[in-house]
Amino acid sequence: MDSVIETIRACREKGTPVVGCFPLYPPLELLHAMGLRPVVLWELKGIVKSTPLSDRHLQPFACSVARHLVEIVLSDYGAILDGLLMYNACDTLRNLPEIIERGLGAQGRELPIIKLHIPAIPAERTEASEYLARRMDALVAECEAAFGVHFSSERFLESQRRYGEMRALLRRLEALVGEGRLLYRAFSRINRFGYLVGVEEQVKRLRTAVDDCAAVSINASATIPIVVSGILPPPPAMIDLIERCGLRVVANDVATQRRSYGYQPPEDGDPGGYYADFYRRHHPCTTLLPTADRRVDTILSLVEESGARGLVFIGEKFCEYESLEFPHIEGLLRERGVSSLRLEMAIDDYENCAAFATRIEAFAELLKGGR
Amino acid sequence: MDGRAAGGGRRKTESGRRLSRMIADGYLDLHRRANEGAFVVWIAIVVPAEIFAGFENVAYAVPESHAALSAGKGVGTVQCQKAEERGYSADLCSYARIDIGTAFDGGKDSPTFGLPRPHLLVSNNNNCSLLVKWFDVYRREWGVPHFIVDVPFCYGPQSDRDTDYIAAQYRDLIREIERLSGQRFDIERVREAVRHSCDAMREWKRFLRAAAHRPSGITVFDSFVQMAPILTARGTPALAEHFRLLADETEGAIADGRYPVPDERYRLLWDNIAPWHQLSGMSSRLAALGVNLIAASYTYCIGSLEGSVQLFPYDGADPLRYLARIQNFSVCPQGLALRFEAMRAAIGTMGVDGVVFASNRSCKVYSIMQMDLLDRVTRECGVPAVMIDVDHADARAYSEEGAFTRIEALLESIDMKRAG
Ligand code: SF4
Ligand code: SF4
Repeated sequence: MDSVIETIRACREKGTPVVGCFPLYPPLELLHAMGLRPVVLWELKGIVKSTPLSDRHLQPFACSVARHLVEIVLSDYGAILDGLLMYNACDTLRNLPEIIERGLGAQGRELPIIKLHIPAIPAERTEASEYLARRMDALVAECEAAFGVHFSSERFLESQRRYGEMRALLRRLEALVGEGRLLYRAFSRINRFGYLVGVEEQVKRLRTAVDDCAAVSINASATIPIVVSGILPPPPAMIDLIERCGLRVVANDVATQRRSYGYQPPEDGDPGGYYADFYRRHHPCTTLLPTADRRVDTILSLVEESGARGLVFIGEKFCEYESLEFPHIEGLLRERGVSSLRLEMAIDDYENCAAFATRIEAFAELLKGGR
Repeated sequence: MDGRAAGGGRRKTESGRRLSRMIADGYLDLHRRANEGAFVVWIAIVVPAEIFAGFENVAYAVPESHAALSAGKGVGTVQCQKAEERGYSADLCSYARIDIGTAFDGGKDSPTFGLPRPHLLVSNNNNCSLLVKWFDVYRREWGVPHFIVDVPFCYGPQSDRDTDYIAAQYRDLIREIERLSGQRFDIERVREAVRHSCDAMREWKRFLRAAAHRPSGITVFDSFVQMAPILTARGTPALAEHFRLLADETEGAIADGRYPVPDERYRLLWDNIAPWHQLSGMSSRLAALGVNLIAASYTYCIGSLEGSVQLFPYDGADPLRYLARIQNFSVCPQGLALRFEAMRAAIGTMGVDGVVFASNRSCKVYSIMQMDLLDRVTRECGVPAVMIDVDHADARAYSEEGAFTRIEALLESIDMKRAG
């Protein structure tokens, strides 16, 4: 991980301002097109091991994503950032900008924090797209003022192509995971680096990974295919546990993974138009409120198309969005004869996965029994 | 007001009796209208109910208010458990769990026999987005349409652009109700309803001003209990009339020298939703310590705009725009800086000695930022403060001894400060 931080630092030293983006789906292409380096601040457990700084600001019932985000910005690592961008992704995140501002202020530091509102209603509703378009225009102006950069439609189109390629490669790589040519653990690792290393570097890595595993053949017949769902992927130790129990992750509905790369909008030089489509047709996510009606069908087809026999929910403790949808989806899966297992990860569980072993083993036995 | 006479004896005041009647009649009326064919809407508390007055026969129910009532009547935990048995996490907001538990058990154990089934759900992400997901549960289970009102979060005063955006959504909502119910809409009736709401808020503020008197003419528990009809009877003349009576009665009690905590030695402020399951136990234990919780951010911001505790009056212009502008007239939808400004004003005008921050794991929007608020209050207002853990509606997540140990430590800090 330190090498990744070094890459970001080096990029910054070359004059590219680094913008830390709050999860989940910030407008990365737009920032990139303006010559900024967007870094999405999630899956940070490997960088900040504990959260002493964030503990001074957040009660223990804030989720681990929020706690790690605050920690990294307030820690020495925060020095790699030139600014922050947040949007209204959830109730917890909306409280963080001012908390971070104070935390930085107490250290005598300051960062521009851009707050973006993405309409949480269907794009067809009066004013929704117009509101978003105006907000995107304002975002361009705010970035120009804060970081001394400029927008051009050509560069924006170019950035869309790069991100489009990255997302297509990730979809391809996920398909290779499904075929059994790459382990999900390795896939998760590669995907995670993409949020930090930048799109160009990530595209290079992905091309290599796709070429490498296209040639590999893995005998997956002895394993039972499953899908995982959640905000973050299961931590490596848990993936190992899952695999040791004879299960194999063949597809995912994880926010940092398929929910992020599942859809690429058609090219559009206008940020308002591009992002209206981006959020409207985005792979459904519990956090994108207007996608709620599509989510259930999407998960069901994912299970069906991947041939999965079960689904493991990696619940982020205190993430209400996810918790409010689990029971319904569990019920529908049950009706279709698909077993599911819900595991809830608290901040410390990322290192203590052994506690989940018995439940995963029992789930694997259940699936094996149903063969 | 569930008033206490000088000397500590409890007695039911006229406004207290009237409030009980209003609430009971309100729920009876809701069920009756639903049975007789009214178009029933379930709303989040910050959805402006005045809009429904514009239709011939739209009845609205407020699940959050019903959940608070259930918790106050001691059935919050049992309803939460029902939701948990259906797979809803115990970490979810207890209002949501109470409501889901009640709704999926056909209103059993509810003090109001539950709520009549809705024809439309209207949520609003301003208080919280959790509420949108909570209403989605019913949308899926019952196939009821769900209309979301999207409100940009306010880190500062609402911009004109945001006011227009919200007002446009209200127009969409009106069209949607016209389409679904076949009823006609009359904007003049909304204007009238907004006037009534504004009159009610004026009287509400007059009632709250009694907290500035020494000893205070009210306790926070009075304002918690009395706020109920703000959620369920908005836009009606009865609401303004009720608060006029309440304010008159409170001022009369002060003039007569009757106070709820006559030997008031500590004047405290509460930050968070009411601990509905503890109203009676907590108020008497505090009174015995000479403590009066005189006000709460939960109630003093009602009727005010961002960062203020003053009334934001209606000027008679476009009522939909006014309703859009007052989207932030309660505290949850306000950022840290605005919440602090309102708190500083309340501390200053009411002579507050200390602040109790009720950290509530159920309500992230309210609670996450309290550590910073506490820090600002102690540093910038020079007022001691303490944080206790209380879930607003799930009694299982509250330890009375733990809470009172901290409150007593706060009283010691106040004593030390007074001793110089
Ligand atoms: S995990 Fe859930 S609660 Fe946490 S930041 Fe993400 S969406 Fe918000
Ligand atoms: S989370 Fe808070 S604001 Fe949202 S419904 Fe629950 S109590 Fe209300």
